[in-house]
Amino acid sequence: MSNPLAVLRVFALVLLVFALTMLVPAAVSGYGQDSAAGAFQFGCAITFASAMLLWLLTRRHVDELRVRDGFLLVSLVWVLVPAFAAVPLLHFFPAMSFTDAYFEAVSGLTTTGATVVEGLDTLPFSINLWRAMMVFLGGMGLIVLAVAILPLLGVGGRQLFSAESPGPIKETKLTPRMAQTAKGLWLIYLALAVACTLGYVWAGMGWGDALVHMLTTLGLGGFSSHDASYAFFNSPRVEAVAIVFMTLAGMNFATHFMAVQRRSLSFYWIDPEIRWYVGVMYASVLGIALYLWWAGTFPDFLTALRFSAFNTVSIATTTGFANTDYAQWPFFAPLWMLFLCSFVTCAGSTGGGIKMMRALIVFRQVMREVVHTVHPNAVLPVKLSGAPLPNKIVFAVLAFCFAYMVIIVSLTLLMVFAGLDVVTGFSAVVASFNNTGPGLGEVGPATTYKSLSDFQTWVCTIAMLLGRLEIFTLLVVLSPAFWRK
Amino acid sequence: MERLLAVLNVFSRIALIFGLMLLLPIGVSWWIGDGVLTAFDEAFFGTMATGGFLLLATQRFRRELRANDGVLLVVMCWTLLPLIAALPLLLGIPGLGFADAYFEAVSGLTATGATVLSGLDKLPPSLNLWRTELHWIGGLGIIVLAVAILPMLGVGGRQLMKAEVPGPVKEAGITPRVTETAKGFWVIYIVLTAVCTMAYGFNGMNWLDALMHAFSTVSLGGFSSHDASFGFFDSPVLEAITIGFALMSGISYVTHFAALSGRSLRPYRRDGEVPFYLGVLGTSVLLVATYLWQQDYYAEFATALRHAAFNTVSVATTLGYASTDYSKWPFFAPLWMLFLCSFVTCSGSTGGGLKMMRAVILYKQVFREITHAMHPNAMTFVKLGGSIVPNKIILAVLGFGFLYMASTIFFTLVLAASGIDIVSAFSAAVACFNNTGPGLGLVGPDSNYGVLNDFQVCVCSFAMLLGRLEIFTLLVVLTPAYWRK
Repeated sequence: MSNPLAVLRVFALVLLVFALTMLVPAAVSGYGQDSAAGAFQFGCAITFASAMLLWLLTRRHVDELRVRDGFLLVSLVWVLVPAFAAVPLLHFFPAMSFTDAYFEAVSGLTTTGATVVEGLDTLPFSINLWRAMMVFLGGMGLIVLAVAILPLLGVGGRQLFSAESPGPIKETKLTPRMAQTAKGLWLIYLALAVACTLGYVWAGMGWGDALVHMLTTLGLGGFSSHDASYAFFNSPRVEAVAIVFMTLAGMNFATHFMAVQRRSLSFYWIDPEIRWYVGVMYASVLGIALYLWWAGTFPDFLTALRFSAFNTVSIATTTGFANTDYAQWPFFAPLWMLFLCSFVTCAGSTGGGIKMMRALIVFRQVMREVVHTVHPNAVLPVKLSGAPLPNKIVFAVLAFCFAYMVIIVSLTLLMVFAGLDVVTGFSAVVASFNNTGPGLGEVGPATTYKSLSDFQTWVCTIAMLLGRLEIFTLLVVLSPAFWRK
Repeated sequence: MERLLAVLNVFSRIALIFGLMLLLPIGVSWWIGDGVLTAFDEAFFGTMATGGFLLLATQRFRRELRANDGVLLVVMCWTLLPLIAALPLLLGIPGLGFADAYFEAVSGLTATGATVLSGLDKLPPSLNLWRTELHWIGGLGIIVLAVAILPMLGVGGRQLMKAEVPGPVKEAGITPRVTETAKGFWVIYIVLTAVCTMAYGFNGMNWLDALMHAFSTVSLGGFSSHDASFGFFDSPVLEAITIGFALMSGISYVTHFAALSGRSLRPYRRDGEVPFYLGVLGTSVLLVATYLWQQDYYAEFATALRHAAFNTVSVATTLGYASTDYSKWPFFAPLWMLFLCSFVTCSGSTGGGLKMMRAVILYKQVFREITHAMHPNAMTFVKLGGSIVPNKIILAVLGFGFLYMASTIFFTLVLAASGIDIVSAFSAAVACFNNTGPGLGLVGPDSNYGVLNDFQVCVCSFAMLLGRLEIFTLLVVLTPAYWRK
């Protein structure tokens, strides 16, 4: 630990920027004369004041951030910023508890999309905009987090490519590369945002709806401004646009960046994940469509395909929109969708779960062990894109997957202990931990997380944070060794 | 092809030995005249004839077994011997389908204890004896038995034992004189069984019941001659005896062997697993008892403790007796018990699941990764029982752990897709895969697997075999690489 105060200073700056983003809904609210103007002004003022105060207290501690400080900074941002993001919600909904407001903010900023708010259609536009903006901002932060910061910390799936990127990993200064990488990636993100908005408007949404849904589509969040989510629009065209942009947002942004920079589509082919990502997801779309058709849920195959395509892609990419209550489908279909959301998206995207990259590595490691059983002394490297992976990375990936499953099992047990039925408990944990959103049972697509008790809500909140920060970031900060000199 | 025939030759010898095991129920059936003597006779002569024919037909191809032949032999024994074992059941129980009979035999040999039969109390005693004898033969291992008896297996025996004995460090404790080791294991096993029979017999069971329950207790199987399982006896003394022998059977036979040959208790203390095994079990018993008492399921703590102790130890050690219908307990308790059964027993014991040694290695590896995240270049080690675990084994354990969880998810999905509810599907998958026996819901301790259709029964049979052979052994035979020259 070089200097926690220097970390706090950077955090204060992040918070300052975040306070500024609150001006957007405040302005929208003021312009539209809706009832939430006061809430945003209050929230903005509090956030701004806290950030200033923190900055004034720590401004003398200018210090280069080192790798270990990154853990603290990232954890601080994702744990504390939601508390400020929740302020406008708390102010606007007088009956809402802090637990619920913090849950909603964490759900937004981690791009999960699980909600405790009902009656979305009657809310002022600015409140829905703020919820969607949290997803979008969370997505922006996340891209940087996933592509630039976590690899440096040796946590994210992208650490595999650290060999490609310039500079040694050890003791690298965090900021300069972050800024450089971030700019390029954000440009892609914003370009996709514009395209997505236009797409939605072309498909028939109003501008307001298009904006809100674009923000949550690209962040792979899943908040909607309608209780019925996409069933409100009931338009195959809108759904098609959503499917395209969800699929794009689930790919590695670094690959998008390379493809744009070098003006070549071949990068999508070279990327080791994308073919599996697309293959597994769309094979599942077909499989589920056939299953639903066969089970008689939908009378004709085309309808089955439409609903299967939208909901499967939405859940698998960890977005969480729904255009029908898929929890009513034969149970295998939603279970398969939840299974997909735990590993399908690519590393370096805004999606959640263990990521396709890790799934591939684990799969190849398992195959290697099978061969080892026959030929105990064979030397077999695990390869990705033709290059052998060092065992160190294989270890890290396997340990991650193990920790991932243990957390799902323990949190499910905890939820059941707290009195939930097992379907609700398990699906809530999976949907929160993978940052997907809707689960099944009591927390299914047709309902919200409102029915959960405070304790259960906190479990979900922690699951979302753990999932977003790829487990180890938080675990490292919580380990005593981290705070030892 | 040549390999197949050579292995078939050895297999036919094992089948003949296995056929001799039928003499015990034949004797009992003759003695008490329970009407199924012809069924056993037909099965006996059928087995002997088939075995003899196979032996003669393949005698030409007889050769010393080579490395890797063992895997095939093990798979052959475990998939084909249940066919023989199922014969008396098929012939003696009218109306029993083939899939069900095979399931019952696999459940017996893998020491699982899941049954498709109801009305056990009215079944001819010799059939019940045969069911529990299957547990007893399969519990310690068919191959271990074969190595102890067949002198021709002495040379390749090491390979064979490695393919069958559960646990990550297969070499440990299997001395170069592998026949001696196998004999030692069987002596301990027989002594334990004899002592257990006497303990049951002197404390209120009739002697036939005592023998059957001793067979299924020390093998951690779980078949009983009563539909109500241990609820039939309703005796705290018998339950205490069961707990004691289940606990002993869950410890590695390598450790028992070392303790016996050195005539000291030191090996138990130095064993890396035993402290965790007893610690986790003890804590869980107290936890479940307190939970049941606090939820007012039992009015008195002593009653809660009695039932919690018996059923938790029984399920966690993958035995599978029940003294009460624990699936009626508040849901957290049975879920926790199922969770335990997936990892609690020690490697080299008669129990199933992931094994405590792997769980401890996985757990330590996760902490190692946390340290690595902070100190990327630190040299760290995973230690177990005072010695360093080589990286190669950690990789194998991680691969296995992942495959284990993937298999559980796979079986759950398949069972759910075939149309049973999720609780039954999941619990059946876990209970079969870990060789425990009773699940929850449809297949709970109060019910049985007879309610499943043929497809589901076959899936469960496969799960039991895959679990007993620790996945890799079965998987290897299915890879093309294994059959290549």
